[in-house]
Amino acid sequence: MFGRDSDDGQQRQKFSRRALLIGAAQAGVFGLVGSRLFRLQVMDGARYVPLADENRLNVQMLSPVRGRIFDRFGEVLASNREGYRAVLVPSLAGMQNVKDVLALFTRLVPIAAEVQERILLRAKRQQQNVPIVLAGDLTFEQIAEINLFAPQLPGVRTEIDSRRQYFHGNTVGHVVGYVGVVSRVALDDDPIMRLPGMRTGKSGIELGMEGLLRGEGGHIKHEVDARGRIVRDIESRDPSRGDDVVVTLDTKLQAKVLTRLAREKSGAAVAMDVTTGEVIVMASVPQFDTSAFTEQTTGRALPKLQSATLNPMVNRAIRGGYPPGSTFKMVVALAALEAGVVSLKERINCDGKFELANQVFRCWKRRGHDSCDLHKALRESCDCYFYELARRTGIDAIGRMAKRLGFGQVYDCGIALQRPGVVPDAEWKQRRFGKPWYAGETILAGIGQGYVLASPLQLAVMTARLASGLAVMPTLVRPAAGESIPKADPLGLRPEWLDAIRRGLFAVVNEEGGTGSAARIEDGTVRLSGKTGTSQVSRASSERPNAELRWEERDHALFVAFAPASRPRYAVAAIIEHAGSGGAAAGPLVKELMTDILAQDPTSRPAYTLLTNDKQARGPGGRG
Amino acid sequence: MSNFSATARLSEGPATISARLLAINWPLIALVALIASFGVAVLYSVAGGSFTPYADKHLLRLLVGIALILGVAVVPLRFWLGAAYPAYLLALLALALIPLLGTEAMGARRWLRFGEFSLQPSEVMKVALIAALARYYQWLPPEKVSRPLWVALPFIAIAAPVGFVLKQPDLGTAVLFASVGLALMFLAGVNVLYFLGGAATIAGLAPVLWNHLHDYQRRRILTFLDPERDPLGAGYHVLQSKIALGSGGLAGKGYMQGTQGQLNFLPEKQTDFIFTMLGEEWGFVGGVTLIGLYVVLIFMLLAMALVCRSQFARLLCAGSALVIFIYASVNIAMVTGVVPVVGVPLPLVSYGGTAMLTIFAGLGLAMCGYVHRNQQIRRDDLGALAS
Repeated sequence: MFGRDSDDGQQRQKFSRRALLIGAAQAGVFGLVGSRLFRLQVMDGARYVPLADENRLNVQMLSPVRGRIFDRFGEVLASNREGYRAVLVPSLAGMQNVKDVLALFTRLVPIAAEVQERILLRAKRQQQNVPIVLAGDLTFEQIAEINLFAPQLPGVRTEIDSRRQYFHGNTVGHVVGYVGVVSRVALDDDPIMRLPGMRTGKSGIELGMEGLLRGEGGHIKHEVDARGRIVRDIESRDPSRGDDVVVTLDTKLQAKVLTRLAREKSGAAVAMDVTTGEVIVMASVPQFDTSAFTEQTTGRALPKLQSATLNPMVNRAIRGGYPPGSTFKMVVALAALEAGVVSLKERINCDGKFELANQVFRCWKRRGHDSCDLHKALRESCDCYFYELARRTGIDAIGRMAKRLGFGQVYDCGIALQRPGVVPDAEWKQRRFGKPWYAGETILAGIGQGYVLASPLQLAVMTARLASGLAVMPTLVRPAAGESIPKADPLGLRPEWLDAIRRGLFAVVNEEGGTGSAARIEDGTVRLSGKTGTSQVSRASSERPNAELRWEERDHALFVAFAPASRPRYAVAAIIEHAGSGGAAAGPLVKELMTDILAQDPTSRPAYTLLTNDKQARGPGGRG
Repeated sequence: MSNFSATARLSEGPATISARLLAINWPLIALVALIASFGVAVLYSVAGGSFTPYADKHLLRLLVGIALILGVAVVPLRFWLGAAYPAYLLALLALALIPLLGTEAMGARRWLRFGEFSLQPSEVMKVALIAALARYYQWLPPEKVSRPLWVALPFIAIAAPVGFVLKQPDLGTAVLFASVGLALMFLAGVNVLYFLGGAATIAGLAPVLWNHLHDYQRRRILTFLDPERDPLGAGYHVLQSKIALGSGGLAGKGYMQGTQGQLNFLPEKQTDFIFTMLGEEWGFVGGVTLIGLYVVLIFMLLAMALVCRSQFARLLCAGSALVIFIYASVNIAMVTGVVPVVGVPLPLVSYGGTAMLTIFAGLGLAMCGYVHRNQQIRRDDLGALAS
């Protein structure tokens, strides 16, 4: 007992002695570090000041010119308008001079009192070498005057400022998108993001292709004297302008579609090439006009537009999520065929209703369709047939087929802010609602109702895939010069199944009893195949006819089609919100759209190719 | 009789959680919060006058960290005694597995990933190594401390993780392991001659090694030791850092007015070079104030060690003090250009969750030792993993 205590006592004493030594050593090290700091900051400080001082060594960042956007035939959709503006770099003016400089400048170029206040405040608060815009849209006389008074205006310089300008904004505004001020600068971002004139893409192609369009900033490092006059350039790097982008849209065709679509309150249409996936038309109504956007208006106009009824800012073609309704039946049929639970010939009886565990699901035709095989079920859009197929197949296999045909995903196709929609299954429902999957929900999915949601772009992709048998990926951006769109892989579905589906879709439009006869091209030169969809939005529409309902309760009208039926080239998907029956409301629109497309045949005509994306050849900061 | 039971109670340490909370060194917690607040203020400036993305998270981590200190401190000391060896072995195993399973980030392989969760074994090792050495010397009778076999054992226990992190490569952590480990051995009473002998051996071998190196290897070492030989490459960061500090002067350029830092001339200004940011904007006065706070923190921890009755608790306190000392001094020496850049954060101030967590865990162990300062632990006590 004693022995251990004295042991411990000794150990503790030794520890204390050595801890003191260690403590002294630590204090010594900190003393050394502190003295080093003293030498660096207090004694030698003067030596380092000029190195850091912006009065001597000045770095100015130069913003790049944004790449332009063309349509597939070279029509300019977005470019840059260049003007002159005056900026003030506070560090070059010297903090105490900013007020005087501003007062003199105001005599040359009038600035409103409250704007002056704001400039002074910013000069005080922000980083000292980031320029502040004093005035934009300078005239040549003003520039001359500013240059004349340059010696009295340290820190002020004039520079070109380029602003985004949109053309055909009312036609392609949704697709091209728009740019806006940098909303939040992350620290690791390119420093050019802090420049006052910097704009980045906020939606559409402008956002989706930001990386290509933006370009790279440059800088000038120069030594200046205390008055801000440049003594010598030390180093400079020109900004390199962003790459131009050619989109796959045909603006003329798009304008035509929009005049037709604009008769409706809201809706969307997408047309694409069935083998390359190039999107020829992507229209959304109500429209909004980006041509009218200017630096001044965007700030005020945007919130107003966004809160307007039906939100015109939303590109319904990629952000709309609609129950696909009967346009989903091809997915169910293929899933059932692949699962081997139905044959092409099997007939299923429809007496107008389908019962499952005390629940009754009605066919849209109350009297029923009698006995249907796949062909008739597609032609007449028999619900009972697909209820039964869905029951036999199960939601998981239906979901897998839906994804294979393009649902439930966003595409890497150059346009930003797509919505993936919903391809439901048991796991999804558990995650989303915390509830188990009910058998009845599979039945509803059989006719594209319930949880299933798809965008018009996805519907167009499905149609293109059915028409070509290839896993076509949609694209909105033309490949760079010398490159081509990669060929899509086959879907891996048996040709006889795809043929049966295509024959069914042909019958929808061209055979007696088909639900899509409104889309039939009467002159018979070319045939169109398609599928109607009337998707229920509210419970009310199953009880009363659409005409008696409020607009927002009425069914959505959908129509997907491809043509020519014999050798498909183009696929189209259209939706008109709350317009009632798909065949009657959307059928004629699709017919007209397809007729126009086939007449123009945009993908068979040579597309615009950029001469070169070589920045040197175009010169730094080239004109937009 | 009554006397005996009084001693027995004393040697148990505070029995209830509330008694342990009362025994906590609250001024130390306040000091830790004060130092971390420097971090919050500088990080606010680093983000250009914004709480996002750094300052708000840093503040949150501080609060979580204080909770962690308290949580670790109120656990019975004997639990940590029992956990020390298993923790060390697990950390060593994890370090050994890194070359096989680790994920690479920024040119170094330091992380083990388990699905969503990733772990940096070297951080765990920082705490585990201290605990294991403390546990070892708790058990080892004083008369054996300087016998060669009993010196070799802890030396290997230190050398193994040093070797593993050098391979990653993570020089900063290797320096930390080695210096903290050796300092703990010194504190535990290992004969001074071992340390002198070791230093002499290294001094003697260095020239021999130097002669065997290739020219390019020598150049690399010289640049590492004196980065200003290569002002556009390796020396760029240090040069910019010195310009920033130097131009800050005595009183600094003013909060959020630093030109070097705000203009992105400074690399890693939210992590390794945060002291530079502080020195530029707050000047020598600000820098020395922070150094002063570190000195107070370290001395408080050493003072805590001195009042503890078990070797285990003493070494836990000292270990935590050493980690903070090594981090702070190496970091500041690094940004002032005294020692090469090895990538060591400024404790409690630099942005970064993992490093901060390690510091807090270490402080928690030290605090636990202090809370149980009157508890005597028998040499052969194996500790309690469940208590």
